Amino acid sequence: MDEDILTTLKILIIGESGVGKSSLLLRFTEDNFDPEQTLTIGVDFKTKKLNIDGSLVKLAIWDTAGQERFRTLTPSYYRDAQGAILVFDVSSYATFAKLEMWLNELETYSTKNDIVKMVVGNKIDVDKREVSREEAMRFAKRHHTLYIEASAKTKDGVQAAFEELVHKIIQTPNLWESYALNNIHLGSKDHPNQSSCAGYCSLV
Amino acid sequence: MNEEIDESEFYHQDFTTASEWEVFMARIEEIINQWRVDDKRNDSVTDVESIWDIKTEKLNFAEEQFYLYLYSKRINEDAALDDKGPKNPIDTLHDFELYDENHIEYHSCLSTWYGLDKFIVLSPVSNNGIVNESKIKVLLSSIYVVEGNLVTSENSIPLFVQIREKWQRLYLGVFASDVIRTNFEMVHLKKGLPYCNYLSGLLDLFKTKIASPCVLENIIVSAQLTYTLTEFGGFVWKQDLLQQNYDIESLFLLPFGVTVDPISSIILKATWNHLPDNLVLDSENYTDFDPTAAMNWSLLINSTNNPVCLMADAMTEFLQNLTNTSTIYDILGDFATLPSSENNPLDLLTEPAVPAISRLLTRTARQSLTRNKRSNPPLSETMLVPMLYFLFPDADEKSSFPYGREEREHTESLSQAQFKNLDEEFKGFKTCSSDSLIWRLSIILSHCLQSLGGLRAFAHVWYEFVQEMRYRWEKSMPIPGLSPGLPDLRTCLLNQKLQMLNCCIDRKIARENALVNFDSAENSSTDDEEFFDCSEKIVEEKAKEKLSLWNQPVGRLSKFGNLKLIKTGDPLYIPVTQEPVLKTEDQLEEDTDVLLQLGSNAEAMELRARIMSASLLSDMESFKAANPGSAIEDFIRWYSPRDWIEDEDKLDEWGQKAGHLSPRMLIEDNIWSEMWLSAKPVPAHRQKRLFDDTREAEKVLQFLDLRSVSQICELVIPVLSHAAIYRLMEECESLASDLAEFPAKLSNLIRKGEVLTRESKPQPRRFEGLIHEASALEMLVSQMNSLHYKLNPSRSANGEINDVVVALAMGKEVRVENKSKSDIGNRIVSMFGEAQRMSSLMAGEQFDEAGRGTVNNAFPVPTAKEFVLRTNAVKPAVYSAKCPQFMRAILSKEEFRLCGAWSEDTVFF
Repeated sequence: MDEDILTTLKILIIGESGVGKSSLLLRFTEDNFDPEQTLTIGVDFKTKKLNIDGSLVKLAIWDTAGQERFRTLTPSYYRDAQGAILVFDVSSYATFAKLEMWLNELETYSTKNDIVKMVVGNKIDVDKREVSREEAMRFAKRHHTLYIEASAKTKDGVQAAFEELVHKIIQTPNLWESYALNNIHLGSKDHPNQSSCAGYCSLV
Repeated sequence: MNEEIDESEFYHQDFTTASEWEVFMARIEEIINQWRVDDKRNDSVTDVESIWDIKTEKLNFAEEQFYLYLYSKRINEDAALDDKGPKNPIDTLHDFELYDENHIEYHSCLSTWYGLDKFIVLSPVSNNGIVNESKIKVLLSSIYVVEGNLVTSENSIPLFVQIREKWQRLYLGVFASDVIRTNFEMVHLKKGLPYCNYLSGLLDLFKTKIASPCVLENIIVSAQLTYTLTEFGGFVWKQDLLQQNYDIESLFLLPFGVTVDPISSIILKATWNHLPDNLVLDSENYTDFDPTAAMNWSLLINSTNNPVCLMADAMTEFLQNLTNTSTIYDILGDFATLPSSENNPLDLLTEPAVPAISRLLTRTARQSLTRNKRSNPPLSETMLVPMLYFLFPDADEKSSFPYGREEREHTESLSQAQFKNLDEEFKGFKTCSSDSLIWRLSIILSHCLQSLGGLRAFAHVWYEFVQEMRYRWEKSMPIPGLSPGLPDLRTCLLNQKLQMLNCCIDRKIARENALVNFDSAENSSTDDEEFFDCSEKIVEEKAKEKLSLWNQPVGRLSKFGNLKLIKTGDPLYIPVTQEPVLKTEDQLEEDTDVLLQLGSNAEAMELRARIMSASLLSDMESFKAANPGSAIEDFIRWYSPRDWIEDEDKLDEWGQKAGHLSPRMLIEDNIWSEMWLSAKPVPAHRQKRLFDDTREAEKVLQFLDLRSVSQICELVIPVLSHAAIYRLMEECESLASDLAEFPAKLSNLIRKGEVLTRESKPQPRRFEGLIHEASALEMLVSQMNSLHYKLNPSRSANGEINDVVVALAMGKEVRVENKSKSDIGNRIVSMFGEAQRMSSLMAGEQFDEAGRGTVNNAFPVPTAKEFVLRTNAVKPAVYSAKCPQFMRAILSKEEFRLCGAWSEDTVFF
């Protein structure tokens, strides 16, 4: 079973408290929605296997608490994440306005340079919308992130969001390919000239 | 039975056509035809680096394996245009081409000798070569037959077979067009015949060999004399190893350079092109070939084989010690003892409370050196102390190496934009900032390992380093040369550990200060005794009065806006909370593993929440202590404002907006409300510490103390790699001539280094690869330095010399414009002259003072001579057409080679 897995990816979910981070995760991993979702304390995680273009990818998705006070605790778990989902609530402009701060947070604490970022506007089922799609798109464009709208409650866009993010990570091999792979330096001793082309073996 | 029936004429014929030899030739033809088809399609852009386009096929014949190669030169389009129809491939003006090691392929010598742009070579796979005479004949016949079969008017290609021992580079070949056939023949001897050592003899040989029935036309002669300079006298360039009386400051930079001159010889080639044979004379007694009168001069260098590159060598030492599992104490033996056992507690008492910082180092050094008279320390005090002052410049008020100095200087000195960009590229390194404590430590350690006593010196420095860390912790003195703040997970583990130690020291200082302040506050205002004994009073009191003594607010930081407590109407205060918990990446990994191992079911989630809730509980307790009479609603308004939903247009009794908790906060038995109930009002400073700095500091010190040699190497290699690449960059930058390839090469190194530093453990193979590339660049830089030193001793700015140096270092032969009249030419002449004088002095010959200035004396006997002779001759019969004839003679100490190409008319004979 294990040998079928292409790679294990670490994905973060961050954003203000109450925007529906845990609900998105629950919807994605268990296809369930709990209106009485409890508040996350510190960090939590769930795993799920995802089939991307015929290869199986294991996801360890780390859910974080959005409260400011937890921010002394949660960034430690940003280490080595390949992807990050920044969630805001489309019915609360304040949560959208805070995204900039969350991006900075990610910039400061993520240890990988080219971590793939995705902005998710959650709760599109709610009638009273405060953040327009255009504005959110502009934000995503400005910060070079993916953008998708979703509703953990109605299931809209949730699966697509995770799949798109994973797709993007897989397309960036130096994000996920283990440094332990020795293929780069095979025979470097005998062919020093050839070793200068940093090849990676594409498993996809 | 069957055999008899099949014994027909048809079967017999079939058998002969399948003879191995015919199959072999058919196979060669097949391959060549296939190549021709491919060529027409013109889709062969493979290795753009090389000027040669090479195709290969493997084939068998008589239990021997062969490769068939097609070599075709990539010719730029202008040259291809003026190609005027089919022409014999040797009917050119080719004589000598400028050597370029980047253009050399295994069989490309055929092009150099004959000037061919396209040819096919049949070469045995095994290294033994084809030595047997009859085998050679069969192969030669094969290529004659094949070439004959493949004759076309347009694109015949010369076909060669490699014979004899492979190192001899001996080939026979044939070319056939529809009118002319050319035979390529070669002679290779260790020593040539005496009369062939001069042009006169060679001309005779040439004429005899052509054996034309008519009178020969003029023979066109080209000649090249090679002079080799191996003695550079005072201009030997090398890096001196650290000697006994070394300059201590040289220890503060990574070793760099080579220990022997990276240039083993400079070669001057004097060339004469296309002279008629009746105008030049070269015989045993007289020669017209005077190098100063040559038509062209060109230069080439020979590199020294594998000189020791100091920086790469130092890195290799670390690589080798990656497998050394002995501890520091194993290596130091009884010189060093494990800490704590021998620490005399009285030492602490006799020490002044705040020691003068400048006395610190002599103290540590003295302590460890005098206490152990049993054996000699690996590093003497005179050596060790400057090193420690370099690492800890804050111990010396007048230190010339304070931290943070170089950075400023460096950004100013980085004038070239290309290197400025490179500076940016280092950002991805998971190491530490440049010229920080660990950076310096890695440099010192590499010197120790390489030249100051090896492993014992290495262990000694590490031991002293750890001692110093412990001392600083005990004396609450911050460690210098570290970026301030929490352990930065984007730096290397060693840096994180030291940052952690620094944070612990900071908190210890803060705690001690607080204690001092508290004591003094206590003494000054005796009536203010609210913080003490409250725990006892909790037991005896019941909450009846609002302002009863036990209910006094404790640990307030500031008011939280205008919010008031819901029940009492008192202002809501933000409490003083505990400092955040700090972790280094290895600790985080352990924590993460624990969390991961719990799995992902509901119980595990619950358990994780409990593990995570320590800081939440602490904050709740602090909050309760600061806000007596507070409710969970008050806490939530501060802690998680989005879980407090304000009711519109409704004010509570205190005049603030009324509201209620979010539905999720109201779920029964949720962990928040549960915890709120169990939380006691305890101010932060009286709570159990979430982060015990004493314990964490001790952990770091233990971690440092118990590292084995291999583990130390693992910790230091990322930083060392960073420092080494940085040093290379600086060296490239300070070179007088810049190479267009430098930024690309460095950038490539930086990428590799970055990958290396990001591994959880540096991989030996990857590190080895990095060393390999770094040493190639180190060698290149040294060669260029050496060439500058030799060719331009006055260091005058000279663009021409810069260009020449770059080309020479890249292994190219360079034409010297204006020969001896140019700066370089002049310099070359005087170096040859110097070397000649030196050798004649050595030989004890009388030195002729008058001959000093004349150039003739300057040049020694040429180390090699090369002649190219070509003409057109009527061959084989009087009425045949004129066919090109060619011969090249290479005469050197090592070999005597004649390469001939003899053509004859195949139509009129």
